[in-house]
Amino acid sequence: MECVVQGIIETPYVEALEILLQGLCGVHKQSLRVHEICLKSGPNLGFVASEVRLLCDLEQSEPTWTVKHVGGAMRGAGAEQISVLVRSMVESKASKNVLRLFYALGYKLDHELLRVGFTFHFQRGAQITVTVSSVNKMLKLHATDGDGPVPVTPGIQLVEVTAPATSENYNEVVAAVSSFCEYLAPLLHLSKPGVSTGVVPTAAAAAASLMSDGGGTTS
Amino acid sequence: MPLKWVFNWQPNAGSTVNSQILNEVSQCVESMNGVKEGRWKATLTFYKPMLRDQALAAEFPREFIGISLPEQPNKYYFILRVNKIVLEADSSIQLIMEKLQSYKSRVALNFEGFQYQLGDFQLRVGKVVPTHSENLRGIVMEVEYLPISSLEKSKLIMDEFVDIWQDAVSKRSLPGHFMHIEPNFSDYGLADHYTSQHTAVQYAHVMGQLIATVQAVQAGRN
Repeated sequence: MECVVQGIIETPYVEALEILLQGLCGVHKQSLRVHEICLKSGPNLGFVASEVRLLCDLEQSEPTWTVKHVGGAMRGAGAEQISVLVRSMVESKASKNVLRLFYALGYKLDHELLRVGFTFHFQRGAQITVTVSSVNKMLKLHATDGDGPVPVTPGIQLVEVTAPATSENYNEVVAAVSSFCEYLAPLLHLSKPGVSTGVVPTAAAAAASLMSDGGGTTS
Repeated sequence: MPLKWVFNWQPNAGSTVNSQILNEVSQCVESMNGVKEGRWKATLTFYKPMLRDQALAAEFPREFIGISLPEQPNKYYFILRVNKIVLEADSSIQLIMEKLQSYKSRVALNFEGFQYQLGDFQLRVGKVVPTHSENLRGIVMEVEYLPISSLEKSKLIMDEFVDIWQDAVSKRSLPGHFMHIEPNFSDYGLADHYTSQHTAVQYAHVMGQLIATVQAVQAGRN
């Protein structure tokens, strides 16, 4: 399972966010360019419809593939009270013919995206990953190169904070993610996926401040 | 990785496989000064689609196989023989398949037995039994040649070894013989350099032969 929160930021403030993250995490960013293919089971397959994502990491010299299944969110009064979504998530690396396999099994292409941006991976009470990316759609099937992809939300980038968790330790992971998110609060607000909170009004001032002092925590 | 050939025991017409044959084969390896090294086990699972309308079953793959191999304990392999697809994935792909609830395990078979070292060769002889049962369904053998990874370059030495081996087995007058049919690996996009994906494909083909043998016996009875 994983803990996850999401938010959005206007593109002009992404550089400031990067400086802030660099300062907070003490690690360098990694470039992100992922082709995400969402497949759904054909109409007759499975007693309930199912969905699986195939992620192709285009940053590698030889693209690598990952199969990702995101399951239902944890429910109940306890889950509602926390500000982080805890959900089942399973990933598996796979060889490059994985799309062919799923087509042969009766899965159909639902949609595809190209995520372009950067990530930070670091340990801070949990193994946290921050992903800042623009989400693009392809005008032609699988055309991830050149002028093909166009932003789905021009001028806005998606920020996602995730951390792997287990049924034993998710409380600590939730706490670690929540406390990390507070550091980003002046630039963006992070919430459970699907609970949109928009951009924050303090972003411009916070970004200007970060850009002027080069990312050190303000005194 | 070193290349290997996978064999299955082909009983003579009218005979069936039994544990006495397995014992004799094991003794045969030991008589050739094979050093027993320990146990091995691979598991092969047949998956079937979970369909809302069984009438449409023909639209889905009839033979969808998953295999776990002892040589790659953290990996899992899927094979669709009709589509000539072999996929290598992490073991967690099995959990993803469970969560998708679109295919479920229909039957699982264990290939298990002992491993022997004979100079540069490694032999694994094992029985084929359904999981949770001791019903012997077949006998398999892996012959691995440790110094070479190229299928092409090792062909001669493998042929020579197999000749010596078949000769030794034939002296015991067992009701059958070991059979090796090399799948056309290039159909699956696999190259000359041997990988575990080659092993997975060989097991899927051995399984096909086992099923054909059982069906032939049943047809003979009817």
